[in-house]
Amino acid sequence: MPAIEIENLVKEYKNGVKALDEFSLQVNSGEIFSLLGPNGAGKSSLINILTTYYKPTSGKVTMLGRDLSKNSAWIRQQIACVAQHISIDLHLSLLENMIFQSRLYKVDSKIAKERINSLIDSFELSRYLKYPVASYSGGVKRRLDIAMNMVSLPKILFLDEPTVGMDAISRRAMWKMLLKIREEFNTTIFLTTHYLAEADQLSDQICIMRDGKELVQGTPGSLRQYTRQNILRITFSNAEQTKKISDELDKMELIKFTDLRANSISAGVDDSRRAFTAVNKWLLDHHVEFDAIEIVEPDLEDVFIGLIGSGKTEEE
Amino acid sequence: MQNTGISNYTAFILPGLIVLVIFGASSSGGIINFIMKSSGSFYRILIAPVSRSSIVLGQMLEAILLSFVEVAILFIVSIFFSVTVASGITGIMLMILLIFLTAFFMSSLAYAISLLLPNEVIYETIMTAIVLPIFFLSSALFPTENLSPGLAIAVKLNPFTHMIDALRSLILREKIIFGHIFFVTVLFLVMCSVSFAWAMWRLNQETTN
Repeated sequence: MPAIEIENLVKEYKNGVKALDEFSLQVNSGEIFSLLGPNGAGKSSLINILTTYYKPTSGKVTMLGRDLSKNSAWIRQQIACVAQHISIDLHLSLLENMIFQSRLYKVDSKIAKERINSLIDSFELSRYLKYPVASYSGGVKRRLDIAMNMVSLPKILFLDEPTVGMDAISRRAMWKMLLKIREEFNTTIFLTTHYLAEADQLSDQICIMRDGKELVQGTPGSLRQYTRQNILRITFSNAEQTKKISDELDKMELIKFTDLRANSISAGVDDSRRAFTAVNKWLLDHHVEFDAIEIVEPDLEDVFIGLIGSGKTEEE
Repeated sequence: MQNTGISNYTAFILPGLIVLVIFGASSSGGIINFIMKSSGSFYRILIAPVSRSSIVLGQMLEAILLSFVEVAILFIVSIFFSVTVASGITGIMLMILLIFLTAFFMSSLAYAISLLLPNEVIYETIMTAIVLPIFFLSSALFPTENLSPGLAIAVKLNPFTHMIDALRSLILREKIIFGHIFFVTVLFLVMCSVSFAWAMWRLNQETTN
């Protein structure tokens, strides 16, 4: 049984902004599902609907086999959500925060006590027990936030951009923790992110969305052509020359697409090393002055251009 | 205090001060919504399997409890100014009921208003603009017998004048005027129902963006 099924979901706010536009997807039980998209893509709106905070304008959402619109009270007991901003009470202690959460979800006090102790061990929080929560670092607060949301043993755990603003080490620790949650508790994890590497490393399924619509959904392997694109970036000293060279590069056989950004061109290629040599040679042969040429990891913008098929791809 | 018939002014203004501390405690209850929204607790509680009425009542009861604590402190202090409740135990029980109704009404009103406004600065300004005229246009600080006709009408239309008068009669008089207490209780029960319904409606509006 799928954990989440969404069909033609539309969310239009009162101010006329359409955050979700006929959005559909499916999340299977026990998997880590990543929703990838830039700011304003509609990720948080979707999480707000799935966590019963907002009501959709139209469309159908089924969670754990039940219609969200008719069973929101039941669904609230089955899910938990780690919001984008850390949501812990700073005037309560670590234990009090976890006990409060267990009471919110009506967990029997004896079971809650055992579960809290187990979560404190799993999330390596025991050495922070004697310190006030307000003194914790951002990473520890986030760990406590997630541990609190696991007190009710949710069947689905939503995480809205859990690693935003974290350094590389904290981010990797977070990935490890999410994998551990899936392994130990068999929880379906639905997370939103705008980091390609994060989605690639963690997920069983990835959905890439933009402007409230899904662009593509599949396993990291099937989406690797987008997430592991070979991108060549050439930087120039002025915008005029950048535009001129971009037009020339578009004509080259080994360039799949180009994306013009201020003084630089991002070019999608099949073989980055071969293209690097060829483009470099072409630039030198044509006495083109440039500041830099490099092979770069694609960012979300590159992936979208690859997906939408701008430039040469579109013309073909 | 000559020619006013007031023998103990502390006892006279105590009901007004009780209502004033209830206003303060209830207004503080509304600010909690802004704190909870900025800390993320507001969202966390709204997506938890807890009924909307429990969320509103939980927060209101905190303001009501705080009101009772502050009123108790006022009473303890007033003992040193020779204030006693002339109507005895029955009067004290009725005062507890009336204080509860006042705190219930004000805390639900503060809850609804806090969800209506964008930030705590505007909220505090609006609450002050509501609370101070209500307080000064009541019988909290002076007897209403010698007021000018226009002012007397405004004071009489203020429901808190009746609440303060009811509390005052329980403190100053041995004989309880049950008819007046009943009228004030019914009046505030209606006001409490309306303000609680408004608070509930405002909370539901938060999720129908």
